[in-house]
Amino acid sequence: MSHDHEPDHTHEHPAPAPVTPDDAGSQALAEALHSSFAIVKVVMVLMVLAFFSSGFFTVGPQEKAVILRFGRPVGEGEKVLLNSGWHWSYPYPIDEVVKIPITEIQKVNSTVGWYATTAEQELSGEELPSGPSLNPAVDGYAITADRNIIHTRATLYYHIEDPIHFVFNFVSASNTVQNALNNALFYTAAHFNVDDVLTRDVAGFRDAVLQRVSDLTEQDQLGIVIDQCEVQSIPPRQLQDVFTRVTTARENRNKILNDARSYENQVLSQAGAQASSITNAAAADRARFVESITAEAKRFGDLLPKYESNPGLFAQMTLVQAMGPILTNAQDKIFLPERADGKPRELRLMLNREPPQPKSAPANP
Amino acid sequence: MKRNAMTVVIGAVLIVIFALLLFVFQVRQSEVAVVTTFGKPTAQPYDKPGAYFKWPWPIQKVYKFDQRVQNFEDRFSENLTGDSNPLLVMVYVGWKITDARAFFPKFAGGSTLAAQNMLESMLRSAKSAVVGKHPLADFVNADAKQLKFDAIEIEIEQAVQSQLQTNNCGIGIAFLGIKKLGLPENVTQTVFQRMTSERQILISRFQYEGEAEAQKIKSAADRQAAETIANADAAATRIRGEGEAEAARVLPVFEQNPELANFLLRISALQQSLNQRATLIFDERTPPFDLFQHLPTNAPSR
Repeated sequence: MSHDHEPDHTHEHPAPAPVTPDDAGSQALAEALHSSFAIVKVVMVLMVLAFFSSGFFTVGPQEKAVILRFGRPVGEGEKVLLNSGWHWSYPYPIDEVVKIPITEIQKVNSTVGWYATTAEQELSGEELPSGPSLNPAVDGYAITADRNIIHTRATLYYHIEDPIHFVFNFVSASNTVQNALNNALFYTAAHFNVDDVLTRDVAGFRDAVLQRVSDLTEQDQLGIVIDQCEVQSIPPRQLQDVFTRVTTARENRNKILNDARSYENQVLSQAGAQASSITNAAAADRARFVESITAEAKRFGDLLPKYESNPGLFAQMTLVQAMGPILTNAQDKIFLPERADGKPRELRLMLNREPPQPKSAPANP
Repeated sequence: MKRNAMTVVIGAVLIVIFALLLFVFQVRQSEVAVVTTFGKPTAQPYDKPGAYFKWPWPIQKVYKFDQRVQNFEDRFSENLTGDSNPLLVMVYVGWKITDARAFFPKFAGGSTLAAQNMLESMLRSAKSAVVGKHPLADFVNADAKQLKFDAIEIEIEQAVQSQLQTNNCGIGIAFLGIKKLGLPENVTQTVFQRMTSERQILISRFQYEGEAEAQKIKSAADRQAAETIANADAAATRIRGEGEAEAARVLPVFEQNPELANFLLRISALQQSLNQRATLIFDERTPPFDLFQHLPTNAPSR
């Protein structure tokens, strides 16, 4: 249509040149109408162009898009999802573009099991003082299997695997994920004992929460994949002291036990060493004894023929031979010659406990 | 004329667009539409996405509903368990419109708010009925077999589901779970007292257990050490005995001449006994000093 009017438009510029002065007023009016009509036409063309070019859209690197044509997704199966880049669709109301975040990690927090606090309070460390009791309207907490109260909270990281499901089947899928996480915390706490949650089996508790969340999200067909789950649990702040003392007592016990074990090791290894030295000494004794008696026997065998040939002489010789070293070894040797008159000498000994000094046992002549 | 044909085309296009607006409506993916003719729902609801034909207002009117799962959480309300413990329970529900034709007339203009109000009252009664049937041990229990958490959720869901069915609301429950459990405020205080005393028991148990255990370990070690040494002593005695037995085999050699054996023994005994710090006193009759006997001495011959 605009093509049709183009000649008019070009014809219009030179219009003022051939002035027909029959009716100046109507002439001016016609001119004004012509020019405004031209402006309207240009605007219309621009609007039509804008209308069609508004169908261009970009899909970012971390999202996918779905085109709904008359409300129905365009394409079949995997092709429904448009990847990142430039795309074109018919403008509304024919097509509608729905963008879905997909590769980016989504995150939900569960704080229904935590006391009332805010991120700022937590950062600054200035939390509301804890009262003697917990108000269920304000403070969240979980009940453990042994009916203790603990605070527990979790953060779940996941990404969307099936965007069609996630967007078109749920009004607020992330809220559903959050509630699944809430449920998992309470469910898991309900069959863990307080010490398991807080100290003994922290990892087990987290794994059980994760298991429950993935069961629930799978059951609800949320179309998500869970990446990671972080769980934090603390005893009630009101009982912080007494819980700390339990920890200290447990550590003390472990220290005492470790000390006892090292004592045990020490005592046992010492005993082992002593035992082996005893048996070794015995073995050495035995060897020496046997050795010496065998040597003795051998000597006896050697001496026997000599003895038998002349017992008296042999005895004499052996005795004298033996006396040699004996006299050499003896510290004091005192010789008492016979009295000239042949009477026996009288000898007095003073026995002393002290080591005898030379000449401390004088012989009284 | 050229201009006339153009005008006709434009006019026709405009009329078609206007007619489409009047006679066609869209149903989006995830939506369901109910068409009323003079205020009465007609035919099947349109639950597949696409464009559909309708008569223009005031003959037919289109109501669209969200067919997706909607979330709803009820109030954190107090109920008595089967064993008369007060317990606060909050549940979350995922519900959706399953039958738009039934849903539409039930709630004024198909308002989801009205539907949720009804859902809340149904949940309240279902919750108190189900919680009242179970003792507290079914809610919290270390034994996985006795814990009936799942069963309780299913029971509440079934109760609500059956109420929805009898009322023919056109609503279905997609899932239902417990969001939160709690105790009344004054009960938490007694729980704290109990927890404190339990902790104290633990503290003293750790102390005494540790000491007793350490004592046990130490005394066991001492006993074992003593045993080891006693065993070693016994072994030593045995070893020495073996040595003596071995020596006994040599004894017959000495029996060839006991006299000589005796003599030799005495000599070696003599040698050993006089080995150290001995003082010997002799007279002339003891060999070898008897050699002095007939020597001229310098003794004064008194």
